[in-house]
Amino acid sequence: MKNNNRAPLPGFLAGLEPLSRRGFLRTSVLAGAALSSGCASMFGRREAPETLEYHSLTPDEVEVITRLTEVMLPASQYGLPSSTDVVPTIQNVDTMAQRMPEQTRELLGLGIWVFNNRPMVSFKFSRFTSLPDDKALDYVNAMQEGSFFERGLMTTLKALVALNYWRDERTWPGLEYHGPVTEVWGVRRLGNAPLPRA
Amino acid sequence: MAFVRVARDGVAVTQAKDVALDASLGKRFTLKTDVVVVGSGAAGATVAYEMAKAGRDVLVLEAGRYYPSSQFTEHLGDTMTRIYQDQVGQVNTTADIIFVQGACIGGSTVIGACVMEEPGNKVLDRWASDYGLEGLSAEKFRPYLDGVADQLQIHINEAHEINACAHKVIQGCEKMQFSWKPAQRNVKQCALTGHCLAGCPSDRKMSSLVTHLPWAVAHGARIFSDTEVIRVRTRNGRARGVEARITDPDSGAHVADMQVDADMVVLAAGAIHSPLILQRSQVEDHSGQLGRNLSIQPFTQVLGKFKEPLYGFRGALVGVQVDEFTHTDGYTIFSGLAEPESLLAQGDMKAGEAHIQFMKDYKYYAGVNAFSTDQGRGYVQWEGDPYNGDKTIHWNPNREEFESMKASAALAARIFFSGGAETVFMPTFQSLEVNSVFELDAALDQVDYGLKGMYTFRCNSFSPHGTCRMGADRYQAVVAPTGEVYGTAGLFVADSSLIPEPMSAPIQWTVQALAKYVSDQINDNAHNYFIG
Repeated sequence: MKNNNRAPLPGFLAGLEPLSRRGFLRTSVLAGAALSSGCASMFGRREAPETLEYHSLTPDEVEVITRLTEVMLPASQYGLPSSTDVVPTIQNVDTMAQRMPEQTRELLGLGIWVFNNRPMVSFKFSRFTSLPDDKALDYVNAMQEGSFFERGLMTTLKALVALNYWRDERTWPGLEYHGPVTEVWGVRRLGNAPLPRA
Repeated sequence: MAFVRVARDGVAVTQAKDVALDASLGKRFTLKTDVVVVGSGAAGATVAYEMAKAGRDVLVLEAGRYYPSSQFTEHLGDTMTRIYQDQVGQVNTTADIIFVQGACIGGSTVIGACVMEEPGNKVLDRWASDYGLEGLSAEKFRPYLDGVADQLQIHINEAHEINACAHKVIQGCEKMQFSWKPAQRNVKQCALTGHCLAGCPSDRKMSSLVTHLPWAVAHGARIFSDTEVIRVRTRNGRARGVEARITDPDSGAHVADMQVDADMVVLAAGAIHSPLILQRSQVEDHSGQLGRNLSIQPFTQVLGKFKEPLYGFRGALVGVQVDEFTHTDGYTIFSGLAEPESLLAQGDMKAGEAHIQFMKDYKYYAGVNAFSTDQGRGYVQWEGDPYNGDKTIHWNPNREEFESMKASAALAARIFFSGGAETVFMPTFQSLEVNSVFELDAALDQVDYGLKGMYTFRCNSFSPHGTCRMGADRYQAVVAPTGEVYGTAGLFVADSSLIPEPMSAPIQWTVQALAKYVSDQINDNAHNYFIG
């Protein structure tokens, strides 16, 4: 998507001048795509994470996404399949990234970098990946309550991670969600409708 | 007249893989036809059927893939990946509004929630008087609406089609004394699976995939999937066909270039893509309105959490609608709670324990979907060359529209509180849950318009319209009352682009009736358009 509205960066983005607003917004687009898409494809979802390779995410990006997954989805503590050891959430994100156009993929990398390195005084300018669990969660919540740009970026990355976890049907029993039913219920296919009467 | 037989199942579609395997076609080929229809959704399928039934040679070109209903999985995430436009990544330029659209044979009718609503007599009569569209007056347009209702088996939901989620809405409305009614849907013998958004594997949803498209094929129409029309070919002010590109939907590989020679081109690619094709084709735009007047019908989802488990995702997806404000304020509210993935589009989904709890409470939730009417100020624009450029969708709420979205979400929240909700989750980018109706106004005051209303309400658009508006004044409209584009003979538009002003009702019923109307305009004047 193009956006020719090249207004100067607002004050709350001080320190991030090399990144245009358009860039941030485009990163958020990814979010939309991710959110929606469940872009994580169907491939490989059942593989054990330790057997997986990452084809698109860089080691730094894997570190950030893994940490965000741990912070956002401490699923195994609540009787759900682990978001890192059972459901291959990060691998699903990687598969999604593989299917992105080159420019979109670059913007995803930019978004992940900005998220990890966003300077916040209250977190002593630490990187997200270096924060302990409680502080990392506070960081995520602070981003969600931040400026419009921070809200957009955080919502995007959360959707990216959450979607690629909850789309796995092994997570559904924990929600008492039935999943596909047509075959289970023996619902007959009706086929095409007959031609309307003249 | 020859005996016409409709296939029992599926639709005969030529796909990219078929073209790739046919050595006789090569990398560049030309087809000839009477009518080329661009798009196979609600409008395109209707036009294809009507024109084929009238004896015309019809070719339908669809940019999306063919995904037969026998392969539907009832997995929303997988379906989004395969047949939603841009994998549900079709967004405005500020990336905070998603334009949800089907990208497959059958278009958005395949993934829609089956909600059908007429525009109403007052609206139609206003179109007739204000835009010179006499053929669309309530009296003259009624037979078209009735015809579509018959074909799509539109009916008012019966008791078994109103689930627990909808009953909470009813309870709330009864206490508030708001008018409500069972929704109307285009479903035959609904199996109550709740998977409408992932496509109906048992063919009970009367989408174009199981109605007008197989009917059109039965009358001889040909359909190509994976075929994106780049531009309309014109000569001496008359449409002569189209140029299209065939792409493998899995690998993205370019398979072939197609040229179509046709007596007539009918655009039915929807309110986003039809004006973009016209812009790429550089057709005359005397009115300056091509691509403008985009109305998006902003949609937000409000969740209510109740004390008792509702399993509100079971049963028919949409049960009832609140029509108290439809004609006064432009708000229409429908009950509905879809798959778990849909919760992630609601608003903030929290993190850590709070996120897990938010998801685990799924069975306690009911959902309502609040549509508000915008002012039609958006526009779509193609930027760059026809083959490698980008579409841009421009819409952000002004303050009035922002307040309208806020008011519709507040009404939805009040309905839930009146129905007994303990907590209501507001559809905002910032985390906003409300535990009492008395906290509601203060909570909503926290949602500030900010910069262009960006990243305030989590908003989607299912029914964009108005970007090639129809009207009798060629200096105010893009398309004439016949459906023909001003200044380009033989080029028609038949989809939601035609709708001349923002409307509050879901648009599919109106669009299919409009497509039938345009088809009749063509068939009634066939001697002007076709030789022989």
